[in-house]
Amino acid sequence: MLDISTLLEEIKAAPYVESSIRTPHCGVVQFNEELQPGSKLVGPHGNWREKPGTVLATIDRERCMKNVNALEKGELVSINAGLSGQFVEAGTEIMRVRHFLSREEVLQIILKQALYLFNAPEKAKYYFVPAVDVKVKNTGPKSVSVHDGMELFIISRMKREMPLRYSGPDGVIYAVYFSVNQNLDPGMPLIGVCPPSQVGQIEEVSMRVQTEWPED
Amino acid sequence: MDISDNKVLVANRGEIAIRIVQACRKLGVGFVCVYTAEDEHSGHVRLARELGGEKSLYRISSYHDANEILSVADESGATAVHPGYGFFAEDYRFARRVMQRDRGIIFIGPSWRVIRELGDKINTKRLARSLGVPTVPGSDRPIYDELEAEELAYNLFNFQMEQGIKEPLVLIKASAGGGGMGIEEVQDLDLFRSVYRRVRNYAARQFKDEGVLIEQRIRDFNHLEVQILADRNAKSIVHFGTRNCSIQSTGLQKRVEIAPGFDPSSIQYNFDAQKLLDDITGYSLAMAEKVGYDSVGTWEWIVTRDGHPYLMEVNTRIQVENGVSATIARIKGQKGVDLIAEQIRTGLGEPLGYTQADITFEGMGIEYRIIAEDPDNGFSPWVGKIEDFGWKDRPWLGMHTHIPTDQPYDIPTEFDPNLALGIVWGKDIEEVRKNGLEFLDDLRLDGISATGVKMKSNIEFLRRKTPQILKF
Repeated sequence: MLDISTLLEEIKAAPYVESSIRTPHCGVVQFNEELQPGSKLVGPHGNWREKPGTVLATIDRERCMKNVNALEKGELVSINAGLSGQFVEAGTEIMRVRHFLSREEVLQIILKQALYLFNAPEKAKYYFVPAVDVKVKNTGPKSVSVHDGMELFIISRMKREMPLRYSGPDGVIYAVYFSVNQNLDPGMPLIGVCPPSQVGQIEEVSMRVQTEWPED
Repeated sequence: MDISDNKVLVANRGEIAIRIVQACRKLGVGFVCVYTAEDEHSGHVRLARELGGEKSLYRISSYHDANEILSVADESGATAVHPGYGFFAEDYRFARRVMQRDRGIIFIGPSWRVIRELGDKINTKRLARSLGVPTVPGSDRPIYDELEAEELAYNLFNFQMEQGIKEPLVLIKASAGGGGMGIEEVQDLDLFRSVYRRVRNYAARQFKDEGVLIEQRIRDFNHLEVQILADRNAKSIVHFGTRNCSIQSTGLQKRVEIAPGFDPSSIQYNFDAQKLLDDITGYSLAMAEKVGYDSVGTWEWIVTRDGHPYLMEVNTRIQVENGVSATIARIKGQKGVDLIAEQIRTGLGEPLGYTQADITFEGMGIEYRIIAEDPDNGFSPWVGKIEDFGWKDRPWLGMHTHIPTDQPYDIPTEFDPNLALGIVWGKDIEEVRKNGLEFLDDLRLDGISATGVKMKSNIEFLRRKTPQILKF
């Protein structure tokens, strides 16, 4: 049985994550001059998260300016200011930010322990089979019921594809942990499945996080 | 401007990137390479560092991002881009952009108009038909509509029945595909729709284009190629002979290539094989002249058992198997022909400097594609860490690989699975077969997957196929 209270206390004891902001591609980087270490950052917001987060920097490649936006609410820890105006390679660290975990993130952390996780068997890209893919896109993953032996995924390695069957308890897909074109290592979770017997507990997790996790 | 004043950006990876760098060094031309995070330990990255230092190497997010590649070209002062094969090699929009941007640079490949004309399988067929060159019956443009595809398949089945073919077959190919990827055959019209949808969905995922071609599937054929080279403005167009690429995986991907395409001196064919080779070479040259071809290119042919050739497509780029043609070619009697160097040299503006009469051929060549895959299980790729890889150097062997031989190597899953190309030469078919088997016997290739599965490779498959080369 999952001890939700203990898990929540553990997360509350270390509620921050520090992450690295890296350039998504190469180009000439310019930092937002209004930002300094300690500056507050805003993540995507609005009813549909349609408004982008704080502009951290811009990258110019081939006269295409691209903003690097904050993906989470948080605080700027450091800026690699020496790179300002320089041509940088893809994946170069330009900043570090600190971020207070959101309710959704806390919920996902706990759900990963509560749900049945079906993991990637090997290093590859994964897709849902077309019929399931349409359902997930149109009505969300929770509308998809899975059962042992169901042909659920397509594994793609080196442009070669093969089907992958789900194995595990019957239930609904409660969480999807992969995205299109993402390469997964073996053992990384693909989906989290909630068996009917666990629905009550999952709902309790959701309610407890909603009420007990502070968020502005 | 002397060609040595140039710097070539190598917009590719793996063994072709290595060969382009080596060709640049041979010509005294500068180079700069790009790589992605997955390729950090690839041989082309190491070679670029060793030969050119950190300033000849830039990490990018994707080999498919033209903006990044061109921004690296500007940053590094490159004056030309070599696309290798795959990625941007047959993208006429990219070739046009490279040439026509504010700081225009040279695209080492055919001019964008030629790529547009021939790079598209459909335009190629139209041009071929206008010159009386036989082509495989099928669609004249990519099909996006299911009903239209079904109607075309229905007509192709009927056409074959009228021809007396007892078991007609239709091929569905991803129009944006290549390298044998995204091709399936249908033998029952009732199954057409499900196969069509599978290929269409695959094409959308892998190539971001749902278009498919529907063609008659010709059975019992050999796959031949003609290697063409022309200089800028198509002032001189020559051929470097033929290749036979009929030994393929079940998914129609090439595994062994042999030059020349047939050997009528030692093998009996049901048709005049020498005339057939001359015919397809003549057709290919005629098409190249018609479009003003101005780089390296390959004309791909299907040859039926009764000796009828059909043009499949033209690849407006250097091909993986260029080296097997080079290994039997002599220019003015000299060995060591390097078609990639020839492509770069002429692409940068040098005249060809020789004519067809200066090109001769000596002996036979086999190219083996060494791949981590399981031929006994539908050629499914094996993914894991290579722990031991090595071969014996021989005077008749050329080895091209990006896999390090002095440290373990994790095979990336993002790209085509070729590990190495072994090119073997022999003075005749007997000697080349013997050398081929000797090379395969000596080859060391071992590794283990993350789940503890021992490495699988196609070496035994290549060994089994070697005695059969060039037999129809």
